[in-house]
Amino acid sequence: MQVKVKLFGGLKSGNTFPINQEGDIIFEPQGDITLGQLIESLSLNKKPFIIVLNGIITNDLSVNLKNGDELSLFPPIAGGF
Amino acid sequence: MNILRINMSAETPEVKVEPLGDYEGLGGRALTSAIVSREVDPLCHPLGADNKLVIAPGLLGGTAAAMSGRISVGCKSPLTGGIKEANSGGQAGHALGRLGYAAIVLEGKPKRDDVYKIYINKDGVKIEKDNSLKMLPNYDLIERIKKEYGEKIACISIGPAGEMKMSAASVAVTDMELRPSRHAGRGGVGAVMGAKGVKVIILDDAVTTPRQPKNDEAFKDANKRFVAGLQKHPVTGQGLPAYGTNILTNIINEVGAYPTYNFKEGRFAGARKISGEVQAELEKQRGGNPTHGCHRGCVIRCSGIYHDKDGRYLTKQPEYETVWANGGNLGIDDIDKIAMLDFVYDNYGLDTIEMGVTLGVAMEAGLIKWGDADAAINLIHEVGKGTYLGRILGNGAAFTGKAFGVERVPVVKCQALPAYDPRAVQGIGVTYATSPMGADHTAGYSIALNVLKTGGFVDPLKPEGQVDLSRNLQIATAFIDSTGMCLFIAFALLDQPDTFQAFIDIVNAFYGWNMTDNDVVEYGKKVLNFEKDFNLRAGFTKQHDRLPRFFYKEPVTPHNVIFMVKDEELDQVFNW
Repeated sequence: MQVKVKLFGGLKSGNTFPINQEGDIIFEPQGDITLGQLIESLSLNKKPFIIVLNGIITNDLSVNLKNGDELSLFPPIAGGF
Repeated sequence: MNILRINMSAETPEVKVEPLGDYEGLGGRALTSAIVSREVDPLCHPLGADNKLVIAPGLLGGTAAAMSGRISVGCKSPLTGGIKEANSGGQAGHALGRLGYAAIVLEGKPKRDDVYKIYINKDGVKIEKDNSLKMLPNYDLIERIKKEYGEKIACISIGPAGEMKMSAASVAVTDMELRPSRHAGRGGVGAVMGAKGVKVIILDDAVTTPRQPKNDEAFKDANKRFVAGLQKHPVTGQGLPAYGTNILTNIINEVGAYPTYNFKEGRFAGARKISGEVQAELEKQRGGNPTHGCHRGCVIRCSGIYHDKDGRYLTKQPEYETVWANGGNLGIDDIDKIAMLDFVYDNYGLDTIEMGVTLGVAMEAGLIKWGDADAAINLIHEVGKGTYLGRILGNGAAFTGKAFGVERVPVVKCQALPAYDPRAVQGIGVTYATSPMGADHTAGYSIALNVLKTGGFVDPLKPEGQVDLSRNLQIATAFIDSTGMCLFIAFALLDQPDTFQAFIDIVNAFYGWNMTDNDVVEYGKKVLNFEKDFNLRAGFTKQHDRLPRFFYKEPVTPHNVIFMVKDEELDQVFNW
């Protein structure tokens, strides 16, 4: 399974991941993983506030990710608390 | 505070200073809309003697309240044919307030083709004919004015576009560095100033002092709490200072609401190259500055200074709307070319949104190729020169679409849509359709809840909840626009009730009022009532409160959605 992760607004991951040409993280989890678990494993410098999964703003961290999913994360700079 | 009326019809323009009278208690947009609604014949020709151009600082203009320097410019719009309030930052709001004027009202029309400069200081008003200023672009004009009047001034001016009475012409306002880089952009207010023969208003507020609050202690305390609240909130305290409004490029693109190729698609492949993050980094590298206030007293500092690749000043940090309209909308992904367009617009005095959408219509018509930034810049020079093609383009997207037989023209009430696709963000579609201003994003910025999750969340892809959202924001915005406060305080107000209270406390402490939350709502409704009433008498019907047909029929990628809010629901926005 491959999930693409895009970080915006000064968000940075504390871990090293393979990245593609555009600078997106290519995340290859071993087995099932929820949205919340993936975000955890990114070890971000700031808590993401706006979470966009395949173009849809989502608040449900318990959803299981699928192959080909695209995740875009924004810190609270583009929103509220 | 007084109203300064200037009648431009007489050979020597006549000046009258009078008290607010029946307009007491009104400021900013409330005042411009009240005066236009009561005094302007809604059937008048916008370029004629019966239209009026009203320039008003907000209720807190000229005070020491943070964020309160915005200025409103109102009239019957030559672009929409309805009422218009265009709003700008810069130094003029505070200068006019400190000089003791609640509004300048330009009336009448000069008999001949002369241009005038109006100089206002503590001693009075001096109006002089000065045809040597004719057709000067704004930056050149301000250089001339600086030589004559010094640098402790604020200027309100038009460029060649306003003098040529183009419907996309803006009114420029100088910032703290005395650059004409803030604009009352929308609706052709520059054309009305041009029709009145006024090239520049010079405000010299030297030896004036800030207006004194009724309750100084309470005012100071409220202001302190207000500022603390703005600094605490992540958007107003961190995001906007660091990246400016262009932080929106990536998020609007990621949610598939970024209008691309004249509203054909919802995502632009080159978005990241022209994002706020890239722009801020570039500004820092080149000796510019991504954190800059457009007026004294601003603590958010969302603006910035953009240098070219040689490290020379080019323009103010382009706003998200400008970058979208002249970037992804046109298939252009070169931030330097977009910044050049921004400078050219400011210099000629043109609305960057209207012109960007106009260029999109021009590309749709095949005049120039998609993505051809140099060709786009050349077209804008045609506008500045006033060639026949330039005069078509300079009158906006609808006019250009008509001239070239284009069907896909994204306008409401003839005003171009801003940087959010209404199919992917249904709430902004309601605002575009129903605002008395025409397609206007600031009038009821539903993006705050549809996308940015400030003050709550309303699903952008569904029609439910959008009417209530737009209505509440249109009411609140009408009040904020009347205080002279920058609308961006709303991000903090929506999330932090004590910051909202501090804001009301500032107003109450200054005037000795006792406004409640309910009074704020009633005030906002009153402003909208002035505007709706004018538009009704000008001939607008509910059929004008609709989006162009293609938004209802053509799904937009990536979510493949159409605009779904029903007409009957749109007609419920102003249901009081």
